[in-house]
Amino acid sequence: MNKGVNKITPYKIFVIVVIAVLAVLFTFPLYWILTGSLKDPIAINAAVPQWWPLEPTLDNYVRLFEKPAFLWLMNTVFMAVMSMILTCITAALAGYALAKKRFIGQTLVFSLFVCAMALPKQVVLIPLLKEMAFLGLHDTIWAVILPTVGWPFGVFLMKQFSETIPSELLEAARIDGAGELKTFLTVVLPIIKPGIGALAIFTFITSWNEYFLQLIMLNSQEVLTISLGIAKLQAEMASDFGLIMAGAALAAVPIITVFLMFQKYFTQGITMGAVKG
Amino acid sequence: MKKLIALLLACVMLLSLTACGGTGTAGGNDGDKDSKTEITLWTYPVGKFGDEATVKGFIEAFNAKYPDITVTVQYLDYTNGDSQVTAAIEGKKTPDIILEGPERLVSNWGAKGLMVDLADLWDDEALADISKTSEAVVAACKGADGKYYEYPFCMTTHTMAINYEVFEKAGALKYINEDRTWTVENFEKALKAVKDSGLVQVPAVVYCGGQGGDQGTRALAMNLYSAQFTNAEHNKWTMNSAEGIKGLQKLVDLKNAGLIDFDPAAVASDELQLFANGTIAMSFCWNAANQSSYASSVTFTPYPVAFPSEDGTPELCGGIWGFGIFDNGDDAKIEAAKKFIEFICDDAEQGPKSVVATGFFPVRSSYGNPYAGTADEERMAVFASFQQWLGDYYNVTLGWAEQRTAWWGMLQQINDGKDVTEAVNDYVDTCNKATEAASK
Amino acid sequence: MDMKKVHKRSKALVIRETVVSYIFLAPALFFFLGFVIVPMGMCLVTSFFNYTMTDFTFIGFDNYIRMFQDEVFLKALVNTFIIVGVSVPAVVIFSLWVGASIYKMKAFTRSFYRCIFYLPVVTGTVAVTVVWKWMFNKYTGLFNHVLLGAGIIDERINWLGDERFALACIILILFTTSIGQPIVLYIAALGNVDTSLLEAAEVDGATKLQTFWRITWPSIMPTTLYVLVITMINSFQCYALIQLLTSGGPNNATQTIMYYIYYQAFRLYDYGYGNAMGIFLAIIIAILSAIQFKVTNSGKVD
Repeated sequence: MNKGVNKITPYKIFVIVVIAVLAVLFTFPLYWILTGSLKDPIAINAAVPQWWPLEPTLDNYVRLFEKPAFLWLMNTVFMAVMSMILTCITAALAGYALAKKRFIGQTLVFSLFVCAMALPKQVVLIPLLKEMAFLGLHDTIWAVILPTVGWPFGVFLMKQFSETIPSELLEAARIDGAGELKTFLTVVLPIIKPGIGALAIFTFITSWNEYFLQLIMLNSQEVLTISLGIAKLQAEMASDFGLIMAGAALAAVPIITVFLMFQKYFTQGITMGAVKG
Repeated sequence: MKKLIALLLACVMLLSLTACGGTGTAGGNDGDKDSKTEITLWTYPVGKFGDEATVKGFIEAFNAKYPDITVTVQYLDYTNGDSQVTAAIEGKKTPDIILEGPERLVSNWGAKGLMVDLADLWDDEALADISKTSEAVVAACKGADGKYYEYPFCMTTHTMAINYEVFEKAGALKYINEDRTWTVENFEKALKAVKDSGLVQVPAVVYCGGQGGDQGTRALAMNLYSAQFTNAEHNKWTMNSAEGIKGLQKLVDLKNAGLIDFDPAAVASDELQLFANGTIAMSFCWNAANQSSYASSVTFTPYPVAFPSEDGTPELCGGIWGFGIFDNGDDAKIEAAKKFIEFICDDAEQGPKSVVATGFFPVRSSYGNPYAGTADEERMAVFASFQQWLGDYYNVTLGWAEQRTAWWGMLQQINDGKDVTEAVNDYVDTCNKATEAASK
Repeated sequence: MDMKKVHKRSKALVIRETVVSYIFLAPALFFFLGFVIVPMGMCLVTSFFNYTMTDFTFIGFDNYIRMFQDEVFLKALVNTFIIVGVSVPAVVIFSLWVGASIYKMKAFTRSFYRCIFYLPVVTGTVAVTVVWKWMFNKYTGLFNHVLLGAGIIDERINWLGDERFALACIILILFTTSIGQPIVLYIAALGNVDTSLLEAAEVDGATKLQTFWRITWPSIMPTTLYVLVITMINSFQCYALIQLLTSGGPNNATQTIMYYIYYQAFRLYDYGYGNAMGIFLAIIIAILSAIQFKVTNSGKVD
C-alpha cells in the first residue's frame, strides 16, 4: 500500500491529469447553471462567454418565485418520495421471496421481471395513457408514480441483494418460531437495508429527472413538476435562459440533499452484493 | 402472517383510496349541480397570453360580467404543447377552449372532428368586420367542410430583421428601400458588405434544426423568386416549381459563397440568440412580439425589414391567432366557452385589450389602431406597414406536421450538398403523400 | 409408505411456501401486472391495427412490414445500437478505471471526487442540455472557443449540426450523465473487496492483472451487473437529449427509436405504428437483458 502511494510514476501523473480534466468537464455544466442563474439577459447570452457574473443579480430567482416554483418543487418531492417508498417496499418484499423461497412459477415470474427491467417506459406510453384515463388518474401525480413503481428493476436489484442473506439465519429464526413477517422484519430487513438505500437513491433520482412520462401524464397547473416547469420556460422564439438556470439550480438542491442523506447506505450497499459474490 | 396480510390490505386500500381521491378532484364533472359552469382554457404563449398575471386579469374582467362561469387556465409551450394536447385528446381530458392558430385548430384538430363549429360567433357583423381586414383570415379559420373551427382576434406578419448599427457601419443600409423592402440583388450586395466589414462572424444563418420558426425559412426561400408554397386550393405542395427551386438554389449559392450559413443544429430561438448577441447581422424570424421580447436583451437596434424578392413585392407569411372549442359533449360548457370567447374577442372594452396583450394586430378592422396614443405606437406602426404584403395562409393544408419535418430535412439535405431539384422533389412527394393520406 | 409421507409433507410444504411467496410478491406483482404487463399487452394488440386519432382498423402485420421498409426507422435502429453499444461498455470500463484510481485515495479526496462525478446526475436534464447545447454551438460555443484558441482547429465546427459529429456529441453527453452512479458504486465495491484474499494473492506472486481478474473482478460482478443494467436503461431511454438538441437531425444522424416512436405517435398520431416499433424494441431489450443476466450470473464464484 504505502510504497504504491509514495512512488510517483508517469502513469500516476497521467491518471491525476485525466481525472482532473474530467472533473472539470463534469462540473462545468453545474457551474455554468449556477453562475448563469445570477446573470442578466445580456450577460447570459453574450457572444464572448462571461466566465463569472460581472454584475450578479438575483432577478432570475425573484422571477422564478413569481411563478409557482415552490408548488412544482413540492409536487416533484411528493412524486419522487412516493415512488421511492412504494418501490422500496414492494421490491424488498418481492426480492426476498424470489431469492430465498422456492415456489411454483418462480422461474416464470423472475424471467418476466428480468426481461422487463430495462424496458423504457416510453414504449408503452400510449396504452399507459389510455389506461390512466380509464382509471381516472390522468393528470394526477399518481399517473406518474404507479408506472414507476411497477417497473421491475427494483425487484431485480433487491433479489440480487437478498441472495446474500445466509440461509442459516432464516432457518434459525424459523426454529425460534418466528412468523414470516417477523422473520422478514427482524432478520431480512437489517441485512438488505443498504440495498434498500441504494434502490431508494436510484428511484428518487430517476423519477426526479424523468421528463417524458410527466409531460404526457400531467397537464394542470396544480400538478406540474419542476422538470415540466423548467421545460415550459423554453419558448419557441425566446428562451429565458436565466430563468431556466435558476429553476435548475433550485431543482438540484433536494436531490443533492437526498444524495448526501443516503450516501452512507449507498456506499455500503454494494458490499453486500459482493460478499458472497 | 396475519399481520402481513393486514399490512398489504392496508396498503392496497390506502392506494385505492388515494386513487379515488385523485379521480374525484380531477374529474370535477359533478359540479354541475350548482349553477356554476366550470370551463378550462389552454393557451399557447401568444404574446402575453402565456403570462399568468395578464390572463388572470382578463378572467377577472370576464367574471365581473359572467360571475357564474369559472375559467381555469393552463399554459402550454411550443416545445411540448402539441404532445400535451395529444395526450389530453387520447386521455379524454381536452380543455374546453384553446388558443392557437388555424394550422392546429382548423387543419389538425378541426379536420379530425374534435372541434365545435363556431358559426354562431361568426355572425354577419363579425364576418364583415374581419373580411374588411383580410379575406385570407376568414378563409384560414374555415375547415374544408365549411365549418369555422377558429374565432380569431389577432394577426401579424412575420418579417426579418437586421442589426441596424452593423448595417450602418458596413454601409449596407443603402440596399434597403424606404418601405423596408429589398431586391435579391441588393440583398446579396448587403450580405457582401456586412461580411467584408468583419463586424459579425457570418451575416446570416438559415436555421434548419427542426421545431418551430419555420415560417422564416419558408418565407425566405419563397420570396426570392416569388414561388408559391402550395396551390390555391391548399391540397398540393408547389415548392418544386422553377421559382421555388431557383430560390433554394440561390440560398445554397449564397452559402457556398460564404455569405450565409446553414445550421442544422440551430432552431429559431438559437438563431435569434445569435442575432441578439451580435454574432450574426440578421434574423429570418422576426415579428412584433419578438421586437418587444428581445428589447431587454439586445444592445443594438433590431430593424425589421421585408424578405428580399426579385420583383420587389414581398409576400409575407402571416400568423392568425384565436380560439377554438373542443367538443367535450357538454352543451352548457360549450355555451359558456362561447361566451368567454365572445368576451375576449368582441367586447368593446376587452377586445382591443386582448389584441394589445398579444403584441399583434386586430383582425377586426373596426378596432382601428389599438396602439394609438401608447408608447408602442411608433414601433407598431412599422409592423403595421408590413400588413399590406400579407400573403396566402397556406398553413391550413392538411399534412402540415409531416410537411414541417420534411422541410427541415430538405434544408439539411441541400446543405449537405444534395442536388436541390432532387431534394425538393423528394420533399414535395413526401408532403403530397401526407396530404393525400390526411384528406381520406 | 414412509417415502410417500415425506413426499406428501414436502408437497404441502411447497404449497405453503408458494402461498407465502406470492403474498410477498403480491404488491410488486400488482404494480407490475397493472402498469407494465397490461399496457404492454395493449401495445401488442394495437400494433396490429391502423390506429390513429380517427381510425382503428385491423391490418395484421402491416405495421411491422412497413417498419422494415422505413429507412428512417432502420437508421434509428442502427443509431440506437451505436448509442447503446458505445455508451454501455464505455461507462463500465471508464467508471471502473476511475473507481480503481480513486478508491485508494484519502477519504477526503475520495469523497470529493465521488461528489464531482455525481454532479451531472443531480442537475436536471433540461438545464444540462441547455448548457451542452451552448458548449457545442458553432458560433459562440465553448468547444470551438477553446479549440480555436488553442490552435487545434482552424475552422469552426458545427458539432451538433454535422452528421459526422452529432451522434458522438449525444453519446458524450449521455456518458457524462450516466457515469456518476457507476463510479460511486465501483468505489464502494472496490473498497470492500476482501483484502486478505488480495494479500494472499500477492504473497503467491500473482501479478496485478492476475489479481484483478481472479479476485477483484468476480467480487465486483454484482456491481457490474447493476451498472450494466442501469446504463442500458439510460441509453435506451435517451429521448430528452435528442428532442432538446437535434430533433433527430441532421439528416436523421441522431434519430433513435425512442425519438422516432415519439414522433410517430405524438406528432403524426400514428399510434399503431409507434406501438409496433415499441414492441420490436421491447423484444430486443428483453433479449439483451436476459443475456446480460445469464452472462454476468454465470461468471459468479459460488
